[in-house]
Amino acid sequence: MKDDRIDAQRAANRLEEPVREAAALARKLGLDPYPVNYWVVDHDEMNELIAYGGFQNRYPHWRWGMQYDRQQKQDQFGMGKAFEIVNNDDPSHAFLQESNSLADQKAVITHVEAHADFFANNEWFGLFKNAGAEGDLDATAMLERHGDTISGYMDDPDVDREEVERFIDAVLCLEDTIDQHRAFTAEDDRRDPGEYEDLRDRLDEMDISEDVQRQVFDDEWLDEFAEREREARIDEPHEDVLAYLRDHGRQYDEEKERAVEMEPWQKDVIDMLRTESYYFAGQKMTKVMNEGWAAYWESLMMGDERFAGDDEFLTYADHQARVLGSPGLNPYKLGKELWEYVENTANREEVAENLLRVRGITWRNFHDVVDFEDVRAALEPHSAIEGVAPDSLSDLAALGDDPRVDADALERAREDAVDVERYPWKVLTYEGLAERHFSLVKRQNRGFLERIRRSDLERIARYMFDDEKYDTVEAALDDVDYTAGWDRLFEVRESHNDVTFIDAFLSEEFVTENDYFTYEYSRATGDFRAASDDYRDVKKKLLLQFTNFGKPTIAVYDGNFGNRNELLLGHQYNGVMLDVEQAKGVLERTYQLWGRPVNLMTIVKEYDDHDVEVAQRRNREPEPIEVGTRIRYDGDRFETHDLDDDLRERIAAADVDYDTKPEEWLG
Amino acid sequence: MGLREDLERFREVGEQRREDLEEFISYGNLGSSDPDSIKIPIKVVDLPEFEYDRLDKGGVGQGQDGTPDAGQPVGQPRPGDGDDGEEGDPGEEAGDHEYYEMDPEEFAEELDEELGLDLEPKGKEVVEEIEGDYTDVTRTGPNSTLDFERLFKQGLKRKLATDFDEEYVREAMKVADTTPREVYQWCRERNVLVSLAWVEDAWDDVPAEERGTWDSFEEMEGNVDQETTVQRIRREGLTEVPFRREDERYRHPEVVEKKERNVVVVNIRDVSGSMREQKRELVERTFTPLDWYLTGKYDRAEFVYIAHDAEAWEVERENFFGIQSGGGTRISSAYELAQDLLEERYPWSEWNRYVFAAGDSENSSNDTTENVIPLMEEIPANLHAYVETQPGGTAINATHAEEVERELGDADNVAVTYVSDPADVIDAIYEILSTEDS
Repeated sequence: MKDDRIDAQRAANRLEEPVREAAALARKLGLDPYPVNYWVVDHDEMNELIAYGGFQNRYPHWRWGMQYDRQQKQDQFGMGKAFEIVNNDDPSHAFLQESNSLADQKAVITHVEAHADFFANNEWFGLFKNAGAEGDLDATAMLERHGDTISGYMDDPDVDREEVERFIDAVLCLEDTIDQHRAFTAEDDRRDPGEYEDLRDRLDEMDISEDVQRQVFDDEWLDEFAEREREARIDEPHEDVLAYLRDHGRQYDEEKERAVEMEPWQKDVIDMLRTESYYFAGQKMTKVMNEGWAAYWESLMMGDERFAGDDEFLTYADHQARVLGSPGLNPYKLGKELWEYVENTANREEVAENLLRVRGITWRNFHDVVDFEDVRAALEPHSAIEGVAPDSLSDLAALGDDPRVDADALERAREDAVDVERYPWKVLTYEGLAERHFSLVKRQNRGFLERIRRSDLERIARYMFDDEKYDTVEAALDDVDYTAGWDRLFEVRESHNDVTFIDAFLSEEFVTENDYFTYEYSRATGDFRAASDDYRDVKKKLLLQFTNFGKPTIAVYDGNFGNRNELLLGHQYNGVMLDVEQAKGVLERTYQLWGRPVNLMTIVKEYDDHDVEVAQRRNREPEPIEVGTRIRYDGDRFETHDLDDDLRERIAAADVDYDTKPEEWLG
Repeated sequence: MGLREDLERFREVGEQRREDLEEFISYGNLGSSDPDSIKIPIKVVDLPEFEYDRLDKGGVGQGQDGTPDAGQPVGQPRPGDGDDGEEGDPGEEAGDHEYYEMDPEEFAEELDEELGLDLEPKGKEVVEEIEGDYTDVTRTGPNSTLDFERLFKQGLKRKLATDFDEEYVREAMKVADTTPREVYQWCRERNVLVSLAWVEDAWDDVPAEERGTWDSFEEMEGNVDQETTVQRIRREGLTEVPFRREDERYRHPEVVEKKERNVVVVNIRDVSGSMREQKRELVERTFTPLDWYLTGKYDRAEFVYIAHDAEAWEVERENFFGIQSGGGTRISSAYELAQDLLEERYPWSEWNRYVFAAGDSENSSNDTTENVIPLMEEIPANLHAYVETQPGGTAINATHAEEVERELGDADNVAVTYVSDPADVIDAIYEILSTEDS
């Protein structure tokens, strides 16, 4: 039996230098990560961490057991190898698998540094982070605290353990029904539709004589009043369903045969799980961006900046090919390519803008008069910057006081105190590195500059005053700001989420090159069929997959529906119907959190049998009939009602369309 | 520790307790949807959520070399293809790990390394004779099979071997005071392939006034360029190639012995009433990597799945781990069926055979000694293994494994192992595979 601790220790010692240098390199490149604590773990510990979503302690629940089971089987049967996991915390914690090769570890470390930068700087993560009272994120402690509290409830002799588990399940069915686009607050600061009291109750309490009540507040007036109140509430649906249930939910008491207050532990469990939902929302909303970001910087550090030693480079290339090469819609690949597109576009704008300021170059003649080969040659990094090496440091020194050179480091390097052979980037600044890795001169981006569209040139030129600033192309290119692309990357990483990212940067070129297409289900043939490869359609479908975690949006519309304290949820219908069977399962569990009947408004597509038959004969698709429906669950059974037209109007969005079926489809 | 308990409770969900979740349980597969890859069955409990209707939602796919035409069927969209589905995406919330798939061969290598095994597929090699290309040659045969190319090449070689620059040699004869023998010697030294007879024949043709043109061979060499054979052939063309009888060859087809390592694995499982979920899962956990390992080791692997209670029947793999019946147990029924199937489809002379059986060791009385053991001895196989899956130790009346071990434990092709929890699986696999190794 080997001593595992010694192995882990040895692995850790080996990684000390790569960890230190990767963090330094990341900062040189303009990243601003949380500090990262690295841990070397064996494969079983890795499986546990993955099961727990990247943490060491969570509340007791079978879902972690399920994830662990899967992870262990995957590991045991060699179906896939996990290299790393990193969590969003300040400081972040990253766990490296002990059995990784050194090349893998280096790749993973550079990858992790980029994730830690994303966690720290993306605003969608900020929605949770900045809400904490003390202002620091301590997710590890928070999750551990939740674990301890819930364990405590389970061990409480007055509480049935299984009841706690069942209650958690009910909350988990609704874990994504939060208002993830708002900053997290513990309090629910929305105007509260539940606070409305039925006037009748208040009048009863006021001891007004029946005569007066009959004359002044007759039933008709009271009903109208209630109706007006309801209308007012319904105009402002409440997307934070969990908060609403925490604040107004009750439980049904079998003995008393009515809803009673929830137990404190129940409110507390909802509160904790809601907090966790908000904590994880940032990650779920930025998966493509975040993975792409990490893959982009990993590749730059490992490949272009040769953080992998020469002997490790092949192993690394193989590692990267496997990660990026996995089939289907791979978030690493999609994200990385979108980031590269952002970088190239910003660099191209910068270069084009300078060229348009050359006397004699206009947006009309741009493609005719500019020699793109010459431009590319002129944009190549300065030889001293490109070829930093121990024996060419004097070339760098010859540049004098240059913003691209880290003067202090160069000084030390000339005294042999910096290992320039292995870490050439140390003697350069952000500006220097930006020039060294300027995207438009890279082989894979050749042609990107000349592919700029005339309409883009016209847009740039339209507001340009100083359009004869340069006499020559050379002078214009000398003034190019090499950091334009990277500066733009940092801006985008701060403000976007997957939906806005894909919407803004998924280009026609990208969709075509990767052979993406949409598919739809055909009622006539009973199977899925390819529908469209138009990039607008592909984008539309992708946005559907990323908007609101890829799920339908559900909100509370009324907490006193029908004046009977029933809960009215509404599905904000965007043309895609929801899974009615699953929705009923959720309603059953929502009942456990509300204690009184629960309703869901939605719109269901129905197909007339005759229409389907006709459509099949004519090889086309039948038209669905959209039926407004209210599903009600009273703790015992389901009822389905037609939905009032005014309610239907409130949940149906008119201006969205995710259907990509062409007019002539099956022909 | 927390996770072990979570795992325990997960196993019980919808089975021993929490019947309310039973409707949300499905048994999915791990592994890619690639039909050749081996799949690991896995229990999944999907809590209901507000989700889009799967049919109405549609999706995005990725084509290979272009996109399919609109209206073309695309098959079942795979979960995970951009769908961000539960399958293949563990730890959705962390989402920061990287995976790659491994194929059976890699798996076998890993397992060899992990367990220190070095199981070389052995047993017979299946020999097939097939007609190869016409690559072999004999000295006689029908004209149509005459290898003219070879004849030509040989002739050409011969010509090149006997060819020399005649003009060059004639120049050498003009060296002052030389003799035919001296010229011949000089030619030999320079690898000019001339015979003494030829030199002597040519000697008299040299005009007397030209003799003494050169003072020495050295002077002559310095002034006359030797023309190479290739240059000469280019100049003169290939006029004459000496074909000879001895160069003739006739082609005939080659006999190729193709050797393939085939293996058939018979998986037998007790599906009787006593085999509950947990035992069932232990069987899967043991059999699946064994199947995978052997797939990786052999050129061609086939699998036979036999389920049995008191009777035995053959099933498809996808049903094999899921079946549960109510009946009693008679293990010999499975071996009888295995014997028939093997004789019929997988003759011992052509196939490596592995027979793996698993169950909880319960059997009807005397069946083990009277029927099963004789059958195991009778069915030729590289390896017979019995895996007892008995969570929480052996039950009193469950003695099948023990009896087999007692009777056949010394045979070098019989392995008996005991798996009482998932941690035992690797040991069991090692035990089984190292038995065959010895």
